Amino acid sequence: MSNGGHPIEHEELMAYLDGELATERAVEAAAHLEHCRECQELAAALRKISQEMAGWEVERLEPADEMPIAIKAALQDRPGKPRKTGKSLGWKILFTRRGLVWAGGGTIIAFLLMTFSVSRLKPAFAPSALRLEQVRRVEQLVAPTPQPSSGYAASDTLGKIKDGAEAGDDESDSNERTGVPTVPMIARTAGLTLTTKEFDKTRAGVEEILKRHGGYLGEMKVNAPADAGRTLTATLRIPAPQFEAAMAELKKLGRVEDESQGGEEVTRQYVDLQARLQNSKHTEQRLTEILRTRTGKLQEVLKVELEIDRVRGEIEQMQAEKKELSKRVAFATVNTTVKEEYRAKLEAAPPSTASRFRNAAVDGYNTVVEGLIDVGLFVLSAGPSLLLWAAILFFPARWAWKKLRRKAEEPETSSV
Amino acid sequence: MISDEALMLEFQRGSREAFEELFARYREPLYGFFRRRLASKNRAEDLAQETFLAVIRAVVRYEPRAMVRTYLYGIALKLLAAERRKLSGNEPPLEPEHEPQENGLSEEALWVRQALEKLDPGEREILMLREYEQLNYAEIAELLRLPVNTVRSRLFRSRMALKNFLDPKKKLHGAAAGGAGRDSARDESTARPTDDEE
Repeated sequence: MSNGGHPIEHEELMAYLDGELATERAVEAAAHLEHCRECQELAAALRKISQEMAGWEVERLEPADEMPIAIKAALQDRPGKPRKTGKSLGWKILFTRRGLVWAGGGTIIAFLLMTFSVSRLKPAFAPSALRLEQVRRVEQLVAPTPQPSSGYAASDTLGKIKDGAEAGDDESDSNERTGVPTVPMIARTAGLTLTTKEFDKTRAGVEEILKRHGGYLGEMKVNAPADAGRTLTATLRIPAPQFEAAMAELKKLGRVEDESQGGEEVTRQYVDLQARLQNSKHTEQRLTEILRTRTGKLQEVLKVELEIDRVRGEIEQMQAEKKELSKRVAFATVNTTVKEEYRAKLEAAPPSTASRFRNAAVDGYNTVVEGLIDVGLFVLSAGPSLLLWAAILFFPARWAWKKLRRKAEEPETSSV
Repeated sequence: MISDEALMLEFQRGSREAFEELFARYREPLYGFFRRRLASKNRAEDLAQETFLAVIRAVVRYEPRAMVRTYLYGIALKLLAAERRKLSGNEPPLEPEHEPQENGLSEEALWVRQALEKLDPGEREILMLREYEQLNYAEIAELLRLPVNTVRSRLFRSRMALKNFLDPKKKLHGAAAGGAGRDSARDESTARPTDDEE
């Protein structure tokens, strides 16, 4: 449409009058309308059309006191709930052309899906293979520890524990990369109290069992009182897969007085820790990147560096927690107590009688000497004070004494 | 005041009061919609009622992204199309001259109605939706499934054509010559858009 040299087209002018023009154009239209006679005439004509059209009024309906019966009935039929479609509608729709197309397409897709699922599910019918796979995964997950070697003796404690933990960390890092564990992570614990007649043999047996199963001795304490049986208290760390076998062997070493077993699932703890660790690592990367690529004020750079230090501290702490957690899962903890059966022995003379006499004599001599020394020390320390007070109190005491004696003599003479 | 859309959602959740409010708001406008487009007053009332019944039946499918006003007039347009199909199948369309006095229309109203009838049906609908139902360009475009620019250009064309038909000179001529005047006006209406585009 030609605008005949007008900055605003006639259609736009109409849209402006209808309130349908964008603000920018509406401003232009208003400005143009002020001085363009032709457009003013058009605007007037458009307004007149609207006025004339408004002249066609429709008679008003009679005010309805209530809704028509049909609507009332429809409302009662549908009290705000989805309207039930007719029962036959579901089947009828199948006989329409669109229904047939949908049904056919749906059937083909369902068939293809079933075929695909069956082909994918085939390995599930080989239980032994699946079981082996699961076992392998469990072992990967829960045994981030060194395999038992010939030099890994139970008595060889602290140094090799550290080595073991270090080696375990490497694998735990690989677990971190593999993502979320697919099997539950259980930290197993057990308590075992044995009584044995042959204490030394049992102790050697414990060490032998630890060595054979690739475990290590976390802590050990032997108590041997003179008038009681010896006691061995030890914390054994046994690889989780070997736990059952080791426990069975330990129980054979003596009479079981007390036994307890427990397991704490730490999967969630582990996954949570892993997620937090990854987040912190990402944060560290981003901060390092910021430090590398962006330049800023010295104060800002220092702030970023401080933040990096903080995040690194957190990462190290979480890594340590994760190692500890992995170790708890990989190695079951068995708190073992081995008690020796004590038998009291009959002896002709009590042990160390001569020594006891000699000790008594020495004690007596020592007591005499100590007493003399104490008296000497008292005299030396309290003597000067006593002399001073004696000098001060001598004359008053003497005067008082004499007076008392005189009073006592006076009644005797008067009575005479 | 609660918006139409909020009322519709309330009604969707089962509020009868919400529907009553919607009914009160739209009873007259919907009746006017049908009344201006159909010759029979009774059919206009029936179809307005039908619109509400359709709303009750389909309320579960209502989604708040559509304006209630557009939604209602969409239903009304469908009912109107069905009614027109029925009328054209059973009997010839009602000639406006047949019952002008029965409708109780004033001379001015009759003149406007006659002028509107001379317009192209598509353009007339756009004009009527704009002037009588007070819909904006976007709502008309949505209802008629047309681009907004097309709505605007057709609206302009129809207004220009109507301006011609409502010319007082023609009014006098129309009153004297009846149908002949309408025919000549129709010729001008077809010629007018070309004039505008020059």
